[in-house]
Amino acid sequence: MSLVLKNVSKKFGTKVAVNNISLTLDKPGVYGLLGTNGAGKTTTIRMLLGIIKKDSGDITWNGKAVDRKLVNFGYLPEERGIYPKTIIRNQLIYFAELKGMKKLDAEKAINYWAKILRVEEYLNMTAEKLSKGNQQKIQFMTAIIHNPKLIVLDEPFSGLDPVNTEIIKNVIINLVKEGKYIIMSAHQMPTIEEFCSDILIMNKGKAVLQGNLKEIKNTYKANRVEIDVSEDITNIIKELKLEIEMEKDKQYTIKINDESIAHKLLNKVIKANIKVNKFEIKKPTLNDIFIEKVGE
Amino acid sequence: MKDIITVSKFTMKEMLRRKSFIVTTIIIMVIIILGFNIPNIMNLISKNSNIGHGDKIIISDNYNLFNGTLNTLKDEDLDYKLEITPSTFEQIKNKIENKKIKAGVIVEKKNNDILFRYIVNDTMAIMPDDLVDTLENLYVKNKIEQLGVTKEKIDDILPEFTTNIEQTEKIKGNTFVITIISILLFYAIYFCAYQVSNSITMEKTSKIMETLVTSTSPRTIVLGKTLGIGLVGIIQIIILVITAIVSAKLFLAPSLLKIFLSSSQITPFAVIVMLIFFILGYYLFAFIYALTGSTVSKPEDIQSANTPVMFLGIIGFYIAQYTMSKPIGGLTTFACYFPISSPFAMPFRAMMGLASIQDVIISLVILIISILIVAHIAIKIYSNAILNYGTKVNLKDIIKMYKTK
Repeated sequence: MSLVLKNVSKKFGTKVAVNNISLTLDKPGVYGLLGTNGAGKTTTIRMLLGIIKKDSGDITWNGKAVDRKLVNFGYLPEERGIYPKTIIRNQLIYFAELKGMKKLDAEKAINYWAKILRVEEYLNMTAEKLSKGNQQKIQFMTAIIHNPKLIVLDEPFSGLDPVNTEIIKNVIINLVKEGKYIIMSAHQMPTIEEFCSDILIMNKGKAVLQGNLKEIKNTYKANRVEIDVSEDITNIIKELKLEIEMEKDKQYTIKINDESIAHKLLNKVIKANIKVNKFEIKKPTLNDIFIEKVGE
Repeated sequence: MKDIITVSKFTMKEMLRRKSFIVTTIIIMVIIILGFNIPNIMNLISKNSNIGHGDKIIISDNYNLFNGTLNTLKDEDLDYKLEITPSTFEQIKNKIENKKIKAGVIVEKKNNDILFRYIVNDTMAIMPDDLVDTLENLYVKNKIEQLGVTKEKIDDILPEFTTNIEQTEKIKGNTFVITIISILLFYAIYFCAYQVSNSITMEKTSKIMETLVTSTSPRTIVLGKTLGIGLVGIIQIIILVITAIVSAKLFLAPSLLKIFLSSSQITPFAVIVMLIFFILGYYLFAFIYALTGSTVSKPEDIQSANTPVMFLGIIGFYIAQYTMSKPIGGLTTFACYFPISSPFAMPFRAMMGLASIQDVIISLVILIISILIVAHIAIKIYSNAILNYGTKVNLKDIIKMYKTK
């Protein structure tokens, strides 16, 4: 099974929304789609779901062109919405039936997911009575209720509190274990780093960085060191002509351009008989890479 | 097809559950029940303040101005009993207070005029017109007779004048009844169709559209929605018609009900024509409303987007109303074939007995073709406009959306 986007482009009037994007998701896992607002992520997602038509390029799922009538993907849109005055259970059954499920199977699936997402008590209420976080969990259910092979999640964690974020995270981890293919767009870089094996960073409709996240990070040299010590080491840092990025309670984050200078710093601190609680040479985070690629 | 049924079932359930639907239906039912009780209410009011069936009135001609002819009034076909007895104001007043009579009339001469002193307990009461006319006629006839003119001559001089309207086109049915039915038909078509716009806009404003269009096609959504709302409309009409029939049987006097039924000309042909044109008329306006509903992003824009459709509906309805007063002519032919007015005009003509089967078929063909064209445009624009959450869409944008592949 594989999802392939090949040289996909889309224009709205004279504005190029997506420019020659390609990506391949050929094994179960989470593919991260990153970009600033207006970078073209949602347009790319809408094209791969067949909601809007591409101007050029190919989008295939299992070798067949994606067509809205044929796909049965799961989708959590960025624009959240559920029927405000409709009983939750009724609207979940409605969406499940539209996705080809029988009512009885839909009810079983609703009860199963409601338990996992901890929304059982809300099933017989109207949506307007639910908090935003619970509404979001209900909408997440509509995306996965019909057990789709490919799931597209547009900003699945935005607006969720830490408890609900953890619940959704666990569900996503289990979905991957069950062999699901997931495309996820998110602004929270730590989340992307946690889930995604491959990423695509978009800027103004174009792909500015793409590939395996681990391999991308390996191409970057270490750029900072974190050290937690028992005494002030400002003099040692100045002596080595290094720049302090952050300092708090004798915990220093220091900018470096070479790993050897970090080792020199550690040697000097040890020679000065200063106790070292923590020492870590760090490579750029995804956040750093993202800002480097799309920052103006 | 399965998805269309799923969408229409869901739409129906949601509409039937809605408080606004339940309240509106109950209000219309109450209005219908009250409407059929109007004759009873009027009777009740007139019984209290005016002379009603079986009430007794004393007429007192103390100066013998009628020359003893008042007794002939007992043979007149009046709704109340007359007692011709010389009485004073006090005597009449006592009898009214003792509820022996309802009113009294004292005839007097004032200068050269005749004065009827109408004595009654109720400040709102007026002397019955037929009693005034009868007394005037009797007085004049009596005076002419005194001049030596024979009864035959008097009848010749004072004939009864009656009016009988005869139209050039033979029209069946009571235009009042037909107008009432036509107004109900217009509101049924118009408000059912309006719900389609409301429903689509609600889905857009609650941002559910994106989930919906990945679950099924826009065509399925539009068709399912219009079918569901149309069925709810039919259910509502059936409830109201049953209410009307039951109310008519329970509250309307049998004689009045008979007149109503015999003059309304609701033949099986007229009922079939009415039903077909209701369904098709609803579909035409529902698709136009689907189009306008899909171009709206905010609830406050619904009104302005739907105003042109409202005008179309009103123009269609008034053209159809005009054909009722002038059943023959160019505009009437136009109204019967023009798809905006034909859903309102054709049922009138069927009830008036003016529509031939050929007319109905031509009108139906034009209407069905128009519906297919409007549906095609509406679904196309709906598909392209539903994900537009941005600024207000104008006509230029709509044309652009239609042209978009």
